[in-house]
Amino acid sequence: MLVLGIETSCDETAVALVEDGVRVRSNVIGSQVEHHRPYGGVVPEIAARAHLELLLPALDRALVEGGCTYADVDAVAVTTGPGLVGALLVGVAAAKSLALAHSLPLIGVNHLEGHVCAVQLEFGLLRPPLLALIVSGGHTSLVLVDETGRMSTIGATIDDAAGEAFDKVARFLGLPYPGGPEIDRLAREGSADAIRFPRALLDGTYDFSLSGLKTAVVRELRRREAAGEEIHLADVAASFQEAVVDVAVRKTMAAVARHGVEQVTMVGGVAANSRLRERMAASCAEAGARLLMPSPALCTDNGAMIAAAGWNRLAGGERTAYDAVADPNLPLAGLVVRASGEPPS
Amino acid sequence: MLVLGIETSTPQSSVCLATEHGLVASATLGRGRAHGEFLTPAIAFCLQHAHTDIAAVSGVAVSLGPGLFTGMRVGIATAQTLAHARRLPVVGLASLDLLAYPVRHVRRLVCSVLDARRGELFWSFYRAAPGGVQRVTEFRVGPAGKLAGEIEAVPDGVLCIGDGAVAHRALLESTGAEVGSAASAFPLAQSLVELALPRFIREDTQRPEDLLPVYIRKADAKIGWRNRGALYGGTSGAGPRAAPTRT
Ligand SMILES: [Zn+2]
Repeated sequence: MLVLGIETSCDETAVALVEDGVRVRSNVIGSQVEHHRPYGGVVPEIAARAHLELLLPALDRALVEGGCTYADVDAVAVTTGPGLVGALLVGVAAAKSLALAHSLPLIGVNHLEGHVCAVQLEFGLLRPPLLALIVSGGHTSLVLVDETGRMSTIGATIDDAAGEAFDKVARFLGLPYPGGPEIDRLAREGSADAIRFPRALLDGTYDFSLSGLKTAVVRELRRREAAGEEIHLADVAASFQEAVVDVAVRKTMAAVARHGVEQVTMVGGVAANSRLRERMAASCAEAGARLLMPSPALCTDNGAMIAAAGWNRLAGGERTAYDAVADPNLPLAGLVVRASGEPPS
Repeated sequence: MLVLGIETSTPQSSVCLATEHGLVASATLGRGRAHGEFLTPAIAFCLQHAHTDIAAVSGVAVSLGPGLFTGMRVGIATAQTLAHARRLPVVGLASLDLLAYPVRHVRRLVCSVLDARRGELFWSFYRAAPGGVQRVTEFRVGPAGKLAGEIEAVPDGVLCIGDGAVAHRALLESTGAEVGSAASAFPLAQSLVELALPRFIREDTQRPEDLLPVYIRKADAKIGWRNRGALYGGTSGAGPRAAPTRT
């Protein structure tokens, strides 16, 4: 079964073709980074406008690179939320229209569910239980997939997303957008112990809070400036990054211990951060958990993960009606991940 | 030839199927801004009740705005992917042009006025011409006072139509203009197809990828920080979880 996946929830216009939920035939990502760079963050109206311009070229390329035509496509999967509503609407309208044009089944997918399902594109169908840390410019969530395949969010940011904290601090340090890779690079030249930034651990929950850390960075820099102290930006970057990584790793490992899972996955744009990868790998090894990290193209927002998640639901007999709406706050609840071993229907 | 028309640039959404011999089917939703919810089922409804099939459609016409940005994008995304998937030609027309078309027999100058939100209006002026109307000004955006000033400068009186005109009836009438009724305040898919059909017949069409919305206004460059923390599971600034946004 060949599923066409469309993802337009934020700033990537992505279309992919995936066979049987696991084999990527094509994975086209039209990046809007250049559109948003002048503003230092994703501008919702600009994102929505860019999606409309980038979607048809992305569809075209996905078909060409996948070596097929619309006649070969068996179903259409699309992100219906969470995300920026104006951005989501473009993808949802296009997906419905494609489904109508060729009488194909349509399936709406939760964006976070998609991120988790990216794992099956590289490691085969999921074998729950599994814990997923989803860290990107838009989200910081811990998602638990229990042994029956049900997904639930057990922790999420209560203020800034991790990537957002990176972007804001980078902007304050005068680094270009997007800030994640810039801070990662700069941090390698600095000392992670130079400044002890606060870690909001919010004991008793798996929730994250990162806005206090960002404020602490700003305050510390202003204080040093006022005191006439020399500021090493590389030290600031390394110390800030270490604080984010520390919180992310500690929260993840606490959940691993509490829920007794032996598989961890880390996805999202921030999962590309070299220090986070290094520390998560070390902590998982220590805890005896297997860390499944898809390659960067499948870690960041893409259409293949949506096609994979869509296939799981289609194989379970689910369909989405043509009057489905985009929901910017779509909750992740009651989802069933198709576990390995069950034959697709 | 069977043409599908899609107009979702205002709070009223409409879809129709028509040939050069007239209307085949239509569906209109007069309330709210549920374009995304309405549009695809409405197309399916028209096809089904006209006992025809998407394969019988030979062209897609769509309104490009100006109007509600999300509505325009839903309409254009739907039209262009449908055309792309079925390899159909498309024709895109402006909402203000469609609005003026049904009053093409009026001798006076016609002014199409649509609500542009944020206290502003979109408008342009039209004169009757063989087979339709001819736009005699650029598309404009601005406050009602500016429009009133332009109308006062027209010596022979103006007929103003559209939801923007109805909303500012008293002001516009004080300039001597006549204001149309609320019943004809929105552009219709039927007007769209009537205007587009001759273009399909003489093959004066566009490629789906060339359809661009008529925004007129620049994008609001506010970063969605506050939204995004909340959107993806956070709670900053959002308060209780909002109901799904229907646009
Ligand atoms: Zn994402």
